[in-house]
Amino acid sequence: MNNLSLLMDGFATILTWNHLMIMVIGVMLGMLVGVLPGLGAPNGVSLLLPLTFTMDPVSAIILLSCMYWGALFGGSTTSILFNIPGEPSSVATTFDGYPMARNGEATRALTLAFMSAGLGALAGVVMITLLANWVAQFGLKFSSPEYFAVYFLAFCSFIGMSSSAPSKTLVSMMLGLAFATVGMDSVSGGLRLTFGIPDLVKGISFLVAVMGLFGIAELMVTTEEGLSFNGIKSRIRIKDILRTMAELPRYWVSLVRSILIGIWMGITPAGPTAASFMSHGLAKRFSRHPERFGKGEPNGIVSPEAADHSAGTSALLPMLALGVPGSATAAVMMGGLMIWGLTPGPMLFVTRPDFVWGLIASMYLGNVVAVILVLATVPLYASILRVPFAIIGPVIVAVIFTGVYQVANSTFDFWLLLFFALLGYLFKKLDYPVAPLVLTMVLGHRAEEAFRQSMVMSDGSLTVFWSNSLVTTIMGLGVLMLVWPLISKLVGLRGWRQRLHRQKPQTHEPSTPDSRH
Amino acid sequence: MTHNGISRYTMEIATALLTGAIGMAICYGAWQVGTGWTPSGPDSGYFPFWIGILIVAGSLVNLLRTVIGHRHKDETFLDAARLRSLARFTLPIIGFAIVSLLLGLYVGTTLYVLFAMRLQGHYAWWKSLASGIAISICFYLLFELVFQVPLLKGPLEHAFGIY
Amino acid sequence: MYTLKPLCTHQLRPLALFFAALTVSGSALAWQPDRPVEFVVTSGAGGGTDTFARTVQSIIGKHQLMDESIIVSNKGGGSGAEGYVYSASSKDDPYKLTFGTNNEYLLPEVGDMPYAADDLQPVAAMAMDEFLIWVNGDADYASAKEFIDAAKQNPGKMQFAGSQSKDTDQTLVSMIEEATGTEFRYVPFNGGSQALVQLAGGHVDANVNNPNENLGQWQAGMIKPLCVFSPEQLPKGEPVHEGKGWGDIPTCQSQGIDIAEYRMPRTVWLPAGASEEAVTYYQDLLKKVSETPEWKDYVTRTVQTSQFLSGDELKQYIDDNASTVKKVFEQEGWSAS
Repeated sequence: MNNLSLLMDGFATILTWNHLMIMVIGVMLGMLVGVLPGLGAPNGVSLLLPLTFTMDPVSAIILLSCMYWGALFGGSTTSILFNIPGEPSSVATTFDGYPMARNGEATRALTLAFMSAGLGALAGVVMITLLANWVAQFGLKFSSPEYFAVYFLAFCSFIGMSSSAPSKTLVSMMLGLAFATVGMDSVSGGLRLTFGIPDLVKGISFLVAVMGLFGIAELMVTTEEGLSFNGIKSRIRIKDILRTMAELPRYWVSLVRSILIGIWMGITPAGPTAASFMSHGLAKRFSRHPERFGKGEPNGIVSPEAADHSAGTSALLPMLALGVPGSATAAVMMGGLMIWGLTPGPMLFVTRPDFVWGLIASMYLGNVVAVILVLATVPLYASILRVPFAIIGPVIVAVIFTGVYQVANSTFDFWLLLFFALLGYLFKKLDYPVAPLVLTMVLGHRAEEAFRQSMVMSDGSLTVFWSNSLVTTIMGLGVLMLVWPLISKLVGLRGWRQRLHRQKPQTHEPSTPDSRH
Repeated sequence: MTHNGISRYTMEIATALLTGAIGMAICYGAWQVGTGWTPSGPDSGYFPFWIGILIVAGSLVNLLRTVIGHRHKDETFLDAARLRSLARFTLPIIGFAIVSLLLGLYVGTTLYVLFAMRLQGHYAWWKSLASGIAISICFYLLFELVFQVPLLKGPLEHAFGIY
Repeated sequence: MYTLKPLCTHQLRPLALFFAALTVSGSALAWQPDRPVEFVVTSGAGGGTDTFARTVQSIIGKHQLMDESIIVSNKGGGSGAEGYVYSASSKDDPYKLTFGTNNEYLLPEVGDMPYAADDLQPVAAMAMDEFLIWVNGDADYASAKEFIDAAKQNPGKMQFAGSQSKDTDQTLVSMIEEATGTEFRYVPFNGGSQALVQLAGGHVDANVNNPNENLGQWQAGMIKPLCVFSPEQLPKGEPVHEGKGWGDIPTCQSQGIDIAEYRMPRTVWLPAGASEEAVTYYQDLLKKVSETPEWKDYVTRTVQTSQFLSGDELKQYIDDNASTVKKVFEQEGWSAS
C-alpha cells in the first residue's frame, strides 16, 4: 500500500504542463527514431542525452523514457507497413502484421499492434509498482546456466512447426548461428571468423541482416510481381480503429500469455526480442489454427507486440531496483543518471524517491500518451501506402541505406546488406524459412556465451544444467516445448484443449472447416 | 535453363551450393581459431565449426533432394518479363551502393531516386530529379540537423564546405 | 589539408583573430577545428568510457570551450576494437577524437587486431580509474587477507567474475595469483554490470570492478569492498554503507597482496598522422576541461583519481603500463605474436 501512496506522490510530481509537454515531445521523437531503421531506441536516447545535461533529473528521465516508449511503438509501424522492422524486437511483428496490411487491413493491423503493445507496457509497469523488490531478488538467482536455459526455452518455443523441408530449416537456423558468431569472442578474448576483414571485427549487425532479409528482399519480390502493394488502397476511417479496439478482448488468452512471457524475459535479461519471438511461437503452437499464422492472423500480431512491450518495460526494473541495466537503452539511461549526479542502485528508492516514483508514474502516463499519439498517426501511416510504389519503393530503399550506414558508419555494411537481400530473396522464393535464421542470430551468440561461461564455472561439466531446481525446470520446459507437437498428437490433447479455451472464430476470415474433426 | 527464363531447379542447386560454400568458409574460419574442447569448455571455434558442418550437411541434402529427386524441374523461378522488372529494381540499388561509396549518400540518394522513378515509374525527368533532391534535403535536415548523426559525404559536399 | 573552409569560418575568422590576440598563448590559434568533431567512444552507450566522453562533451558545451559542435558515436564492438579500427582507418584525420582506456595498446597484444597500437597517437590521459576486490555483502571475509587465505585452502575453486577476456580485469586477477601464489578461476562476462549481478547474486566469489560500477550496490550492502589497488588509500569522502566510505578501504598492499598499483587510465587519442598543431589544440582543450569544477565533480563522484598526462609524460606512462601488462600476457601465454 505504501508503494501506492508513493506512486501518487510520483503522479503529483509529474502532472505539470511542463512535464506533459516533455512527454509528448519525447514520444514523438521516439516514434520518429523507431520508424527510421538505423537509429533505434538506444541510439535515439543517447542522441538526446546532451539535451538533458541542463535539465533537472525528473524532466530528463521523463524525456528519455518517453522517447523509449515512442521508439518501441515506431518500430512496429514499419514492420507492419513495409516489412522493415525498425527495432530488432519488432521482427516477430512482421510475420503476421505485414501480411495483414497487405490484405488491405493496415489500419486493423496497426491498431491491434498499438493497443496490445500499450496493454503489455501497462502490465509491465503495474508489475514494477507492486513487485519491484521481489522480482529483482528473483532476477538475482539467474546465473549463466539459467541464462542458457532461458535462451534454450525461447528457442524451443519458436522452432519446430515449419512447413518447409527440415533440411532447409536446418540450413537457415545454422546460418543465423554462424553469422552471430562473427567478430569478438568475449569468452576467449580473440577474434574469429573475420577472415582478416577489419569491418567484421564488430560482428555482423543484426539490423543490417534484417533490413536485407526482410526489407529489400520483400521489395524485390513485390517488384517482381508487378510494382504495387496489393490492395492497400482501402479507406481509413476512425470507425475501423474503434472496431478493432472492440475486437481486442477476443485475444485475451494470447495477451495474458504474452504479457507473462514478456515480463519474465524482460527481467531475466533475455530481452524484448527473445520475448516477442517466443510468444509468437507459443501463440502459434497453442492455436487451434496454426496454419493461419504467417498469413495475417490477429493473434500473431497481438502476441509479439504485447510481449515486446511488457519486456521492454520490465527491462527498466533491474535498473531501478538493482542499478544494473536490463537492456541497451537502460544502459544509456543509467549513463545519464550518473551525468545528472544520481547514483543508480537500490538506494535510489530511498535517497531520491521523487525521482524513482516520478519515473514510474511517467511510465503509466507516458505509455497512455504514446498509445494515443500512435493511434492518431495511424491514418497518416496508412495513407503512405497509397503513394505509388514507384515513389515509395525507392524512398524505402534510400531510408534503408541511410539506416544501414548509421548502424556503424561502415560502407562495408552496404555489401552485407545486398548479400542479405539476395539471401532473403532466394530463401523466400525457394521456401526456406527466414524466421529461424533471424531468431538464432539474436539468441545464438548470447546462448553460446552463457553456455561457455557455465562450462568455465563447472569445470566443463554439462551437469550444471541440471544442478538446481530453477535451471532444471527451465530446461525441462524447453524440452517439453520441443516435443509438444508430438505429445499433443499422441495423447490427443488437441480436442481437449479446444474445449478448454474456445475462441470465437474470426469474422473477417473465411471460416475454414476444421478437417481434423 | 528452360526456354522462358531461369528454372527453379537451377536456382535450388545454386542456392544449395551458395549455402554450402558459406558453411565451408565458416568451418575454415573456425579451424583457424581452434575447434577442440578444452578443460574449461569448448574452444572459440568449437561451435562455429560444428555449425559449419551442419550447414554443409544441410546444403548437401538440399542439393541431393533436388538433383536425385528431379524436383522443381518444370517450375519457373523467373521468366523473362519478371527478370526484367527485377533487374530494373535491383540494378539501381547496386548502382546506389557504388555511387554512395564514391560520392556519399546524399548524391547517391538523389541519383538513385531519380533513376528508380524514371525506370520503374516512368515519371518525367524533372519530377524524378526534384523528388531525388527533395528527399536528400529531407535526410539532411532530419539526420544532420535534428538528430546530429552524420551520413556519408563525398567530394561534392566537401566542395560546399559541408562535412 | 582542408583547404576549403566553410563559409561560416571565414566570417568568424576576424573574431577568432581578435580573441587570439587577447589570449596569452598564441599557440591555440595554430589549428582550430572548422567542422564538427567526432568523439569516437570505444564502448557501448552507458559504459565507463561512454560516461567519460559524454562528460567531456557536456563540459565543453557548458563552458563553450569549442566553437564547433560535437558528435558522439559509440563503437564498442569487439571490446572497443571497432572504435580503434575506425579511427585508425582515417589516418591524418584530426576530427576523430577517440576515447578509450589502456585497451588501445593492449588489444593488439592479445589478439590479431586489424590495427596496430601506433595507428593512433595519444593526446592525453585525464583520470585514473581504480580497481578493488569486491565480495558479496554476506561473505564471511572481513579482510582481503582472509579472502586470500580462503583461496589458498581451495586453489582453483574460487571464482572471479570480470568484464571481457584477457582484458584489464583478467590481467589483474592473474597478477593477484602471481603475487599471492594462489589460483583462481576467472569467468569472463560481457561488461562490468554483469560481473556485478553475478557477485550480488552469489554465483561467483569476487570481482575486481571499478568503484563507479559497484557504488550503488555497495550503498545497499549487496556487496562490499575488501581492498583497493592504489599506492595509498582513497581520499576520505562521505560514508557509503554502515559508516564506511571509500577512504576506509585498506590498500591491497597493506593486506599482503604485493601489487602496489593497478589503475586504468582514461585516455584520448587521435589518428596517427594528425598534425602536431591539432594534438596541441586538443591537449589544451582537454586540459581546460580537467580544470573545471564539473570535471572535479565527475572524478569525485566516480571515485577516480584526476591526473592529467600529456606529451612525453604520457608516452612514458604508456610505455611503463604496457610493459607491466605485457609481462603478465607473456606469463599467461596470451600474447598474439
